[in-house]
Amino acid sequence: MEALRNAFDFSDSPRVDLVIAAMVAVALLLFPLFSPSSFAIATIIQFFIFALYGMGWNTIGGYGGQVDLGKAQYVGIGAYTTAVMLIRWDIPFWVSMPIGMFFSITWSFIIGYPLFRLKGHYFAIATIATSLVLKDLFEIWDFVGAARGLEISPIKYSPPDFLRLIFKQDIYYYYVIFGFFLLGILIINWFRRSRLGFQLRAIKDNEDVARSLGINVHLSKVKTYAIATAFVSMVGSFHACYIKNIEPEDTMSLDISILIALMAMLGGAGSLWGPIIGAGVLIPLKSYLKEWLGARGGLVGIDLIIYAAIIMVISAREPRGIWGIVERVRRRKRL
Amino acid sequence: MPILDIRHLVKEYGGLRANDDISFTLEKGELLGVIGPNGAGKTTLFNCIAGLHPVTSGRIFFDGQDVTLKPAHEMARLGLARTFQVYTAAGDLTVVENIMVGCFLRTRSRKDARRRADGILYDLKLSDHADTLVSELPVPAQKQVTMATALGTAPRMLLLDEVAAGLNPSEIDDIMTSIRHIHNEMGITVMLIEHVMELVMNVCDRLVVLDYGHKIADGTPADIAANAEVIKAYLGERYVKEHAGELS
Repeated sequence: MEALRNAFDFSDSPRVDLVIAAMVAVALLLFPLFSPSSFAIATIIQFFIFALYGMGWNTIGGYGGQVDLGKAQYVGIGAYTTAVMLIRWDIPFWVSMPIGMFFSITWSFIIGYPLFRLKGHYFAIATIATSLVLKDLFEIWDFVGAARGLEISPIKYSPPDFLRLIFKQDIYYYYVIFGFFLLGILIINWFRRSRLGFQLRAIKDNEDVARSLGINVHLSKVKTYAIATAFVSMVGSFHACYIKNIEPEDTMSLDISILIALMAMLGGAGSLWGPIIGAGVLIPLKSYLKEWLGARGGLVGIDLIIYAAIIMVISAREPRGIWGIVERVRRRKRL
Repeated sequence: MPILDIRHLVKEYGGLRANDDISFTLEKGELLGVIGPNGAGKTTLFNCIAGLHPVTSGRIFFDGQDVTLKPAHEMARLGLARTFQVYTAAGDLTVVENIMVGCFLRTRSRKDARRRADGILYDLKLSDHADTLVSELPVPAQKQVTMATALGTAPRMLLLDEVAAGLNPSEIDDIMTSIRHIHNEMGITVMLIEHVMELVMNVCDRLVVLDYGHKIADGTPADIAANAEVIKAYLGERYVKEHAGELS
């Protein structure tokens, strides 16, 4: 009960934040009613997807300070579980998603136990390695389509299939992932106010001190890693139904892992709104720059340059990201 | 039964014997000071007792239980808390949040942790700073916060590692008041490492002196101040002459 109350308790955020958050939420809720382009809808769906990935990453990477660059493996486990179950046995999304989460969490325990014996860069490199190895395994595993991947080809599109999450129009996906997005915010709000969240913040600061305060550092990390994993896996399952065509190369690539971490860091690791802001800045930028510059002017790749420049500027100015700048300005005003 | 019983403790780092055959006991409710020159092995001793570093040989009993190789988080659960010499509490947490980290050892509930933390803040006269970021506090207040955070774990015994280092005389008085409060009012057994002789001689019931990893003396502050070996290794002739009146 108290956990539920904590999830809805935003009383420690300044009122202005909550007003802005509520306004953005209402805008996102009403946005599809203004008949926007399908490109705009697709971009916002991408924003929701990456905001959720980022929120998951933020638990272990932001609050816990354990830079994890292997989140794509859980996108893959979630996506493949849902796709395989749907294609082979017609198992609906709402059943396959939790099963995918179960697989992901099991895998996260298997690799998390040894991985969290490592620290700093060694940990980051090890997460990359496990993710790439898993991707390679999927590329030669025939049961899941090997390198060709899998395609979900629905027999019929109408009426909208809420059980299997197969829709013809993106608008349905928009509202489903919007629901996940709101739920994700509540879960993170619970997490950061929970015992585990406090323990992780202490661990980030100094592990010896954390130990002396009775925190089982290794166990707390593994537990939090599982929470981060559950988030990513859930969205991975959604991704499979939405994209309908998954292959190891783009579902589980290193790019995805890095993008997830970068977005959260850009917005502000270890803060509630950081990953959302990061995704809100980078995803539209990335897709619109690609659309306008890349396709039209023949300036292929310029989106990546601009994208990299922003990241460099932000990280040089304020290592705690955009949210760090907001907090610094606020503190200066208060003093 | 003593709350802490250390028997022939040896700790080696590589070839270096940082603690060499140290034995002593500590009764419940005592306030023991550990003194000695830099590099004598005082912090090493704390790290071994608190379970942060495994001992090379010897045994440690806490409240009758053999805890020789218990990890630090289990020692905390058993009721042993400690502070760190160079530790400014978690910078991006507020004072009350820092103490809550400690309180969460005994409760899962956020509300409960907050209530316990508020009580400790009140006891150590830190209530005014509750919502300040620890990194924004002056150093003396930060030292108080590290003690408060350790108290959050509801310990039976507290190890304090140089909490008075770098403070001015009036700040040292405040720390002494806090230590006495922890010891007398809260009933917690205290063992402290300190170089500030004024604090050690005033608050401790008993002193253990280390030098080059060995225990060279064990007794009341007055005994220690008169001990020729201690004077030679640590206190110096000048200290004894200047304080001759106070100690006898």
